[in-house]
Amino acid sequence: MPLVLFKTPNIKFMKYKYYALGLTLLIVLAGFINMVFGKGLKPGVDFGGGTLIRIMYKNPISVTDIRQQLRDIGLGNSTIQETEKARREFQIRTMQVVKGADTQQELEAHQKLADSAISALKGTDGAAELARGLKDLNNIDTRGLTSLLMESFAADAPTVTDEILNLRKNKGIFTDFAELAEANIKPEIKGQVITFLKDKTFLGKLTVISKETVGPQAGADLRKKATLATVWALLGMLVYIAFRFKLEYGVAAIITLTQDVLITLAIYSFTSREINLPIIAALLTIVGYSINDTIVIFDRVRENQRALRKEKLENIMDKSVNQCLGRTIITTGTVFLTLLALFIFGGKVINDFAFCMLIGSIEGVYSTVFMSCPVVLIWTKIFPKTKGFRK
Amino acid sequence: MKKGLRWKIILTLVIAAGAIVISYPVTKKINLGLDLKGGMHLMMQVLTDDAVTMETDQEILRLQELFKKNSIAFSTMTKEAPGRFIIQGTAPDQEGKIKDQLDQYLRDWEYTFMGTSASVSLKTAALIALKEQAVDQSVETIRNRVDQFGVAEPLIQRYGHERIIVELPGVDNPERIQDIIKTAAILEWKLVKAGPAPDEATLLKDFGGKVPDDMELVKGDPKRRAEGFYLVNKVAAVTGKDLRMVRRGTDEWNQPAVAFQLKPDGARRFEQVTGENIGKPLAIILDGKVQSAPNINTRISDSGIIQGHFTVEAADDLVLVLRAGALPAGIKTLENRTIGPSLGADSVKAGLLSFLVAVISVMTFMIIYYKFSGVNAIIALILNVVIMFGALAYFRATLTLPGIAGIILGIGMAVDANVLVFERMREELALGKSILNSISLGFSRAFSAIFDSNLTTIISAVFLFQFGTGPIKGYAVTLIISLVANLFTAVFVSHWIFDATHSKKTQKLSI
Repeated sequence: MPLVLFKTPNIKFMKYKYYALGLTLLIVLAGFINMVFGKGLKPGVDFGGGTLIRIMYKNPISVTDIRQQLRDIGLGNSTIQETEKARREFQIRTMQVVKGADTQQELEAHQKLADSAISALKGTDGAAELARGLKDLNNIDTRGLTSLLMESFAADAPTVTDEILNLRKNKGIFTDFAELAEANIKPEIKGQVITFLKDKTFLGKLTVISKETVGPQAGADLRKKATLATVWALLGMLVYIAFRFKLEYGVAAIITLTQDVLITLAIYSFTSREINLPIIAALLTIVGYSINDTIVIFDRVRENQRALRKEKLENIMDKSVNQCLGRTIITTGTVFLTLLALFIFGGKVINDFAFCMLIGSIEGVYSTVFMSCPVVLIWTKIFPKTKGFRK
Repeated sequence: MKKGLRWKIILTLVIAAGAIVISYPVTKKINLGLDLKGGMHLMMQVLTDDAVTMETDQEILRLQELFKKNSIAFSTMTKEAPGRFIIQGTAPDQEGKIKDQLDQYLRDWEYTFMGTSASVSLKTAALIALKEQAVDQSVETIRNRVDQFGVAEPLIQRYGHERIIVELPGVDNPERIQDIIKTAAILEWKLVKAGPAPDEATLLKDFGGKVPDDMELVKGDPKRRAEGFYLVNKVAAVTGKDLRMVRRGTDEWNQPAVAFQLKPDGARRFEQVTGENIGKPLAIILDGKVQSAPNINTRISDSGIIQGHFTVEAADDLVLVLRAGALPAGIKTLENRTIGPSLGADSVKAGLLSFLVAVISVMTFMIIYYKFSGVNAIIALILNVVIMFGALAYFRATLTLPGIAGIILGIGMAVDANVLVFERMREELALGKSILNSISLGFSRAFSAIFDSNLTTIISAVFLFQFGTGPIKGYAVTLIISLVANLFTAVFVSHWIFDATHSKKTQKLSI
């Protein structure tokens, strides 16, 4: 006997269509109120402009200290978050600057802001060492280190440089010269290299892991392009579904998808996460899964309608949703597993993205079951003219 | 073996082998995006008005000389806006003569006369051409500079009318390279008339507080420890265009400096200017900032050095930008994303781990739930991933974080296609159909759902590719590839595996 998790049930889903519609409206409305009057959706750097800096400290430091240093240069309203490595790695987001009178000034304002934030955090660290001609081993680039090592190690300089910088890449930052012992350097010269570097370099207190700056113009541009692309994609789907099924099915699919996006955004707006380009990709993926689910059910309706010509559309839809229920839950289950893995193991960068998709994948089942067919039913009530399916 | 089955197997093996050959070794053949590899992404705006302003200034100077030569009277010629200037105080009876000059020498310009003044402006077509040229030239110059600096696989391209995108993978000194890209690198030698002075008022004391018409005010470059204000000649003795050769050298105190040689024409002018002004200071001005203003000790003809308290790096960078040539217009940064190599490596590690966990858990579920048929689904899934990598390598597409999202959706839909087929087979079996009949009906009945859902998503992805920007495009590409592969693996390959492993003698369908 096959292993069966779900026997085909016989639930009258269509009966609940108005309740479902009500619930949807309620969530979307709550999200809308939150977006307009509450905390709302936070545009990330991609769409809101500003700068996102990730820095790593040699020694632990508190968020309060960082905020104080930023407040001194008038950036006290920046958001500061600790990331994986507690008290050592931080993500700082400076907010949009006041609009400049002149667009040319405005163009680079963010860039300057980011630079001033970094130099404020560095403070006077390393100034004395730099003045003595020492180099910062935590921020030196390949060229710099190679030419420094050339002084004493001639031919070995390039490989030693690569090994040291590789180690730094894995660690993020050196906290002590003793860590250099882990570098894969020839044992004959390893001791010399470490002594040499202790003598000629120092370990700066922080390093910038990444820095993303988007000016207001570019942000507006990205916003426009993303919206345009989405609208066209939805229109493309509407036309295809209307062609393969019927117009009302196309319309129902688009309404379902719009609902997917709105509900996900509404729930997302209650978290403190930001909207960035990868989140748009997540929303599009949710739309992708949802349209897949929806079409599977429409396909079943189309098939059942051919077999049961006398049956009422409402009953056919109930039967189809029930027949597909096992498949919907299994598919969503596997997708959910994948996303859960991403959410747990994917790291900070993927985390927001995976979170958004998790909401979407659950919501997608709800919208497929309670929205797609019911919308067609409501449509046929308003515009009562039923013809057969296109072949 | 059944008819046709052999060809299906061969076709599948050929495609799989092809994909493996194209994408092997994966680490070399698949380009990772900057978000995964680390590097620098810059979007810059060319201030094309600069180029127009420069052109306008030049034409005003040229016209002034022409008017003097042909004894045409005028009081002033002033620039009103980039691409427009006004000639004032002209004599009405010389209008014809002026028109002749304009028609002959300023062909790209149009003019209107109003009594004793004339407004001259650049024709629209010429204006557009000038701006386009400025952007093209900027791209070319930036490419030269990046090439000389030595960055592996840089991407430099125009984006829209006035923007340039620069992508530099693996750059570990973003500040320095950004300076190199953005430096206009307009180098001029100009005679110093007064200065350096701590402020403008002191500088202009001897000139009645006003900058004379043939001079201009420039600031010292603090980076080169040249503080204060200078008053210099408006006309340059020589400029960067006269350079024949530059290299890093040293000055008399053995400090880094930039050594240069001039072309013969420039050398003649330089010799004349230095010869006539021995003992006076000559300012070396880079992008409107004085680098240094040494006194002229002797007559210099074709070679010399530029001093300015340079570090070795700064001297190298100046040599680099001077060799690559000046930018025709200023450049501003609109977007700057620098992802450090360690963050990129972390993302890849985390992404890979979660991907493996996801794939293994999905596979385990499929085997437990669908038994032997689950194995079939897994083969189809692996083939799907193989084709995905082959296609990415073939199209030289770049794998980014949103691209991974596209793959996840694709894999999800591939699993779904199998689930649809298997559930259908179970239904047919439950209705009492024979095993072979159930297999065949399972595929044929599930086909329309699989086809429609995949095609709908492909359609939307095509639009996203067409209208989206960078990351969204990356998402669309992997999604399209994955779904096309899906139609092949889930419908075609999975079907023949069932056909090959089941016959009329098969007692039981393991599903």
